[in-house]
Amino acid sequence: MNQPVLHVSHLDKVYGKKNENQYHALKDVNFDIQSGEFVGIMGPSGAGKTTLLNVISTLDQSTSGTIEIAGTNITAMKQNQLADFRSEQLGFIFQDFNLLENLTVYENIALPLSLKGVPSKDIKPNVLKVASKLGIQEIIDKYPVTISGGQKQRVAAARALVHEPAMVLADEPTGALDSKNAKSLMETLVHLNENHHTSIMLVTHDPLSASYCQRILFIQDGQLYKEIHRDTTRNSFHQEILDVLAEFATPNELD
Amino acid sequence: MLVKLTISSMRKMFKDYLVLLFGLTISIAIFYMFQTLAQNKAFIESNAMISSVVFIFHVGSVILGFITIFYIFYATSFIQTLRQKEMAMYMTLGAKKGKITQLMFFETFFIGVISLVVGIFLGIGLAVGIAELFMWQLDFQGEGFKAIYPSSILTTVIFYIVLFLLTSLVNAWQIGRKNVLDLLKAEQKQDIVKTNGIKTFIGALLAIILIGIGYYAMTEIEKLQQFGVILATVTIIPGTYFIFISLLPYVVKKLKQNRRLNETGINSFTLGQLRFRMLHLTQVLGTVAMLIALGLGAMTAGISFYHNIETQSSMYHANDVVIHQPTEEDLQTLKEMTITEQHAYSYKINDNGIYYLKQDLVENAPEVKAYDAEFELPKTKRVNEPLPAARYSLNGEEGTEELPENWWTAISTELNTSYNMFGSLPVYVLNAEEYQKVEADEQSVILVQVDDFMNYLSQFETINDNQTELAETYLRKPVENNGGKYGNYLAFKSIASGTIFMGLFLGVAFLMMMASVLMFKLLSSAGADVHRYHMLRKIGVRRSLLKRSIYRELFLLFLFPALVGLVHVIVGMQMFSFIIIEPYTKIWIPISIFFVIYGIYYLITVHLYKRIVLPKEV
Repeated sequence: MNQPVLHVSHLDKVYGKKNENQYHALKDVNFDIQSGEFVGIMGPSGAGKTTLLNVISTLDQSTSGTIEIAGTNITAMKQNQLADFRSEQLGFIFQDFNLLENLTVYENIALPLSLKGVPSKDIKPNVLKVASKLGIQEIIDKYPVTISGGQKQRVAAARALVHEPAMVLADEPTGALDSKNAKSLMETLVHLNENHHTSIMLVTHDPLSASYCQRILFIQDGQLYKEIHRDTTRNSFHQEILDVLAEFATPNELD
Repeated sequence: MLVKLTISSMRKMFKDYLVLLFGLTISIAIFYMFQTLAQNKAFIESNAMISSVVFIFHVGSVILGFITIFYIFYATSFIQTLRQKEMAMYMTLGAKKGKITQLMFFETFFIGVISLVVGIFLGIGLAVGIAELFMWQLDFQGEGFKAIYPSSILTTVIFYIVLFLLTSLVNAWQIGRKNVLDLLKAEQKQDIVKTNGIKTFIGALLAIILIGIGYYAMTEIEKLQQFGVILATVTIIPGTYFIFISLLPYVVKKLKQNRRLNETGINSFTLGQLRFRMLHLTQVLGTVAMLIALGLGAMTAGISFYHNIETQSSMYHANDVVIHQPTEEDLQTLKEMTITEQHAYSYKINDNGIYYLKQDLVENAPEVKAYDAEFELPKTKRVNEPLPAARYSLNGEEGTEELPENWWTAISTELNTSYNMFGSLPVYVLNAEEYQKVEADEQSVILVQVDDFMNYLSQFETINDNQTELAETYLRKPVENNGGKYGNYLAFKSIASGTIFMGLFLGVAFLMMMASVLMFKLLSSAGADVHRYHMLRKIGVRRSLLKRSIYRELFLLFLFPALVGLVHVIVGMQMFSFIIIEPYTKIWIPISIFFVIYGIYYLITVHLYKRIVLPKEV
């Protein structure tokens, strides 16, 4: 059952041309995410989190190495194929919601389906289903401007899930939310993961949000640094995360 | 230091500033071009057919002035959106507000001055180019027209300097008034759309009623006279704005409610964009529609006048050319034309009169323009009245019968046996016996119809010159117009071409202006759309689909005012029906010119817009 939904091997990303000042944002990164897993990516600023996310989400191209999502190697794809791939296999949740404010909540959620060419009569039930999963049926006809930040992020999550992608990529989804809304969003993600087997890759700074994950990969200076699994309570996992984060600062500086 | 920073960042944003400079320059050039005509009273008065043309030019000046003011405010608010984030950054770094305000002021002013200089040169160039083009096309001398007209330069400079000063002040004041956080986050501001059902309905209803009254006034202009013009103006202008404020948003909303349409591909986004855009652009779209109506109207009127020349000149002549005593050159020239009907008639001429042979005429009866009823255009008809008597004359000489009406027309008009040709000689139509008795050499006259009069103007000119020479030998004085169809054509043309020239000149100026207003307004709001297109790209919309969405959205935004303006013009041409015989013939010419100019602006806008909003691909 446990097929990897994401397989990353020997991934390198170099910024800058040859003979110029080169910067290795990612160095030989290898990891897998199994189908139905909820994985967090953590690391200090400048560690390469965003680069990793951009490369996996096909928004940026890797320098070398392979990335396979749901069995498809995306590093060899062309521009249009990539766009199609994104629209079919990936769902995105961003820190700043990225909703289209000129469309209603319903239209925002429906957009990935209409882009895929799903007939209009099949769109509505799908949108309503995912909206009820996320508890936003009430606001379906409103414009994003008139709803709260927490609601916006739920709408974004609904949009990321409506076309049943192979994997959801979440980039600091709680970054712009207060603690109550953040908690509720993370609980929703866990619920989706546990009950609907959605594979989620979460990039975050926030240890509390990260503590909802089953597994966390830490990266530093473009390399995988450590990997921890959650096999106890969320509280102790949170503590474990804080310990690893503390290590980041210490090794050289406190010597 | 700040000045240095500003200059360097202006250099970085050169492309954006280029859009601005381009827009301002065009506006100045057009304003100047318009002024060269508007202020040249001598030219207008001596070349206009309608006495109120001077008044029309004054109204035009005022309208153009208002549009320009709006235009400049859009343009400078475009600078503001470009710069506010940077200005805010300087403020957070500790630059004083006063300094920033000053910078903003000088920047706006500086760009204004550059575009003023370039614009006036461009305006002179445009005035020369367009004037030459039309004068050449219309074969119109246009004496008194000056592309470099000092008082127009002065007016343009003063008008724009005052405007730039004003807008720089407003701009600086606005930047100075906002707080730093607002400026930094200006890009993230979101639009709120409120539509009130009842208000929309009332607005839509008002639009229809007002436009209806206006159209009625224009079609009944003969009865209503000047009151009609005023009534049409005060109803159509607000009516047009109501169309864009209420009617169109309502239509788009309805379109969006069609789920099948809305939920196909990227349509929901395109329509969503369109809906928001339209609510922000109501005034602009209304203004553009009015400008299109004015510009296209002026052009259409001009071209109808031009076409009218041919119609007028063929009003009295069924045949296209008549050649008395053809020379070898005339016969050669005839061979160059496609002739649809040709008759030759014999006649004799001496000091006592001109004598036609009756049989000749009856056997090859010519066509004439005959009046069936009063107040109707004469119709082409072949002469079929019998001529039983032995002697007829044109003016009832002694001992003769008077010619029947159509024969009279045939000889005096079609065969041009007139004072302009032969002086005041009596004209007779005789039977063979009488004709034999006349002592004079026999001459011939050829009557010709061709497939298209306008195709052979140069040939007609040759023939006409020869005929004029012939006329001069009979009249023994210089002849200006020998009275043939071509002569009439020339006479009508010299009266009308001044008006036509002004119509075309005005029309092109307005069309160029309005298209650039629309372009500018669309581009100045493009900044706010950038993040939407980036977001769409992230969720996996193909680039080609994004492009298509842009093409469609902008197409519709360009299309609506064009359609409204076009309908205004088509109805508005009714106003001219009392001076122009067929106001709608060849209406496709100005409409095509319009669509070409408009199309070019549309493509430029799409291109620039794409460059601003489409994400760069890796």
